[in-house]
Amino acid sequence: MFWSKTRKALRARGVMGINQRNGDYILRYNKRSLYPLVDDKLQTKNMALDAGIRVPQLYGSIATEQGISTLHRVVETHRDFVIKPAQGAGGDGIMVIADRFEDYFRSASGRIITTEELEHHISGIISGIYSLGGHRDQALIEYRVRSTELFNRISFEGVPDIRIIVLKGYPVAAMLRLPTRQSQGKANLHQGAIGVGLDLSSGVTLGGTWHNLKIERHPDTANAVAGLTVPDWEECLQLAARCYDLTGLGYLGVDLVMDRDHGPMMLELNARPGLNIQIAMDDGLLRRCRIVEKQLDSLKGEDRPVSERIAFSKQQFAVAGPVPQEQEAPVADEPQATP
Amino acid sequence: MGSVKMQARLLALVLFLLGAGSTAYQILVQKVPLSQDEKDPVWVLDAQISFTARPSKPVKVKMFVPPQGAGYTTLNESFISNNYGVNVNQEKGNRQVTWSARRADGNQFLYYRLMLTPRFAETAENEPGPQFRPAPTLEGPEKLAAEALLQPIRQHSADVETFISETIKRVNELENDNVQLLLGSDLSPENRARVVDLLLAMSHIPAEPVHTLHLTESQEQEPELWLRSYNGRQWLYFNPVDGQQGLPEDRLVWWSGPEPLLSLDGGKSADVIFSVHRNEMSALQLAQSLRHKDVGSFIDISLYDLPLPAQQLYRILVMIPVGVLLVLLIRSLVGMETLGTFTPVLIALAFRETQVVWGVILFTFITAIGLSVRSYLEHLKLQLLPRLSVVLTFVVIVMALLSLLGYKLGINSGLSLALFPMVILTMVIERTSVVWEERGGTQSLKVGLGTLLAAVLCHLLMVWQPLVYTVFTFPGVLLCIAAVMVVMGHYRGYRLTELVRFRAMVDEGR
Repeated sequence: MFWSKTRKALRARGVMGINQRNGDYILRYNKRSLYPLVDDKLQTKNMALDAGIRVPQLYGSIATEQGISTLHRVVETHRDFVIKPAQGAGGDGIMVIADRFEDYFRSASGRIITTEELEHHISGIISGIYSLGGHRDQALIEYRVRSTELFNRISFEGVPDIRIIVLKGYPVAAMLRLPTRQSQGKANLHQGAIGVGLDLSSGVTLGGTWHNLKIERHPDTANAVAGLTVPDWEECLQLAARCYDLTGLGYLGVDLVMDRDHGPMMLELNARPGLNIQIAMDDGLLRRCRIVEKQLDSLKGEDRPVSERIAFSKQQFAVAGPVPQEQEAPVADEPQATP
Repeated sequence: MGSVKMQARLLALVLFLLGAGSTAYQILVQKVPLSQDEKDPVWVLDAQISFTARPSKPVKVKMFVPPQGAGYTTLNESFISNNYGVNVNQEKGNRQVTWSARRADGNQFLYYRLMLTPRFAETAENEPGPQFRPAPTLEGPEKLAAEALLQPIRQHSADVETFISETIKRVNELENDNVQLLLGSDLSPENRARVVDLLLAMSHIPAEPVHTLHLTESQEQEPELWLRSYNGRQWLYFNPVDGQQGLPEDRLVWWSGPEPLLSLDGGKSADVIFSVHRNEMSALQLAQSLRHKDVGSFIDISLYDLPLPAQQLYRILVMIPVGVLLVLLIRSLVGMETLGTFTPVLIALAFRETQVVWGVILFTFITAIGLSVRSYLEHLKLQLLPRLSVVLTFVVIVMALLSLLGYKLGINSGLSLALFPMVILTMVIERTSVVWEERGGTQSLKVGLGTLLAAVLCHLLMVWQPLVYTVFTFPGVLLCIAAVMVVMGHYRGYRLTELVRFRAMVDEGR
């Protein structure tokens, strides 16, 4: 009885389950052959560079044990950098070097790391410790993103990132992921990071989720997470929406970071984005996806420019309900859905 | 998408109908027993023939035996005799066995044993009989008496059937003068049957005596005499003593016709004693023993046709889809995480050899040891492949030590590790450590426990005998399972764990 009641309530809110996500969205919109594009961060990065999408600068990559000795040449000119596996999952195997002195490195959390340790870490990445299925992998050495002042208040170490779910080029949901002490500077929810829902129309933060619970303050900094505005929000949406045209993956999780100096950058793409974003936004993904699918049906597969898609999403998925559009309304006769 | 969904549903429906159809066919038409414990009665009929042989004379004994396939399946038929030649031949719908010997001396005993079962029997075939016969010529008072009796019978009857039962009724009115005249002093059922037959013959109605045996636990049973007549469509059976019509289910026709059961040349004082016993046999055993006799039973096109070792193997193999289905349901409906789909089933198979309790203990113990070795090696900063190899080597060593310890302590039964469970355990440890590497210790513990639980459930399901019997005997069930799997492929509902996970979203709404 309890179960069926919960079931009905979830259904009514348009909450998407794993079975539904796998069957109706990932299987349907994401072609298997396109997965390597997003599973390998090196490929994603190169593709994004070609398309003019801003990404953290790549200092170098190491693919073989012999190549490890070239590490010092790669990082020679950089005080700080990030080492990550090209095919890692869930933020594992990422090492952030914040500073260096003489032969030692210092991690973002302040730990002193020797060159040997660094080389062993890279060797581990190459042997496939962090890659899905244990395949051989490459280690990427790239620009360390510096968090903006605003985000520093509501995150513990690490850099928060913005996850935007994009369906067929239409942003449908967005959240800010804040690292906590527990997540050890990582922005992945299952490792203990906080997810904070974002209003798609304005980029303003809403309530947060932590371990499937709803929260209002960051557990480490005790600052309220709601009511902040993500800077350059329009650009974030632009980046996310363009990733669909870039990869052809119809159901995509786009991870963006906000750099103090360079603004929003695309960090990585995910062909199987998680469902916790629904708790963060306190809204069902299914409900939002259905609205976009309806719009797609009425367009009969016709592709719309990025700006038009964003306008549609902003209008439909504003938290206060759909806002009337000021420009020419391509969807004026659409039935108005209220959350 | 919609059409694909339709197609999948259609496929599921077709698979299900095929599976259910073949199972229904096996149950309804081939009469395959529904459960292993289903018992069928088996009747053992013994006839003991005794006589005294005349010295230095050839002996020939002829006895009727029941015709085959008349409502019963013959399981076994044997003619037991010492120094006699045995020959069986068909004669006008009867079967007759002939025992013969060049010379015999003193008291002789011959045995005939027949084992019958009602299962798998075809209905008795309807061999047409004559519908007319010439009337015998009677003289004097007998003719008058017969005609006097026939007069009211004709008036009170409408067809052959009622005519016969009316005749029997009249003949059994013993105080009737005409009946007394025809019967004489002999009031035995045989004589009454003779008189009934005579009266029927006067009216050109064919009838013949049949001798039946009552299938009930009994010693020294006498064959019971019945009359039967063919009415153009079927044989009608009548009891000549009480007029009862229709042969009861538990009667077996031994022979028909006026000839005596036994005819003996070269001997005297012949006697036949019938005894009937009821045995029970499991329906499956029955079918298997019938196979050797080449009776068209369901065995011919089933897995039971395989040689025994292969049967043993397939008994295990056909349960794998059942286990896989359970894991599928656990993962898609409940949302419990396991190591892949097949691994819990493999572990369940390993439990067959280790026993489930020992299996769980071993699984937990060895996995725990393997993982602690793993985490120590991580501390040593070994690379992935060497690390896994060392872990697996240690697992083998631990298993060997356990077996040795078990043997020394004398509990070799529980710890007799075969190759198969060992390989599976090693594989599980490798996969668990990969999960540990990729997603952390808590996750690997969760997955490990989920796998163990799923494996135990699978094991319990896969060794549940009634289910094993059902799937092995009715392989169509596998198609039904495949149908469920196809349907599950389009299941879009929430998993149970998701109801907990997203509970926060509902609670706020309230």
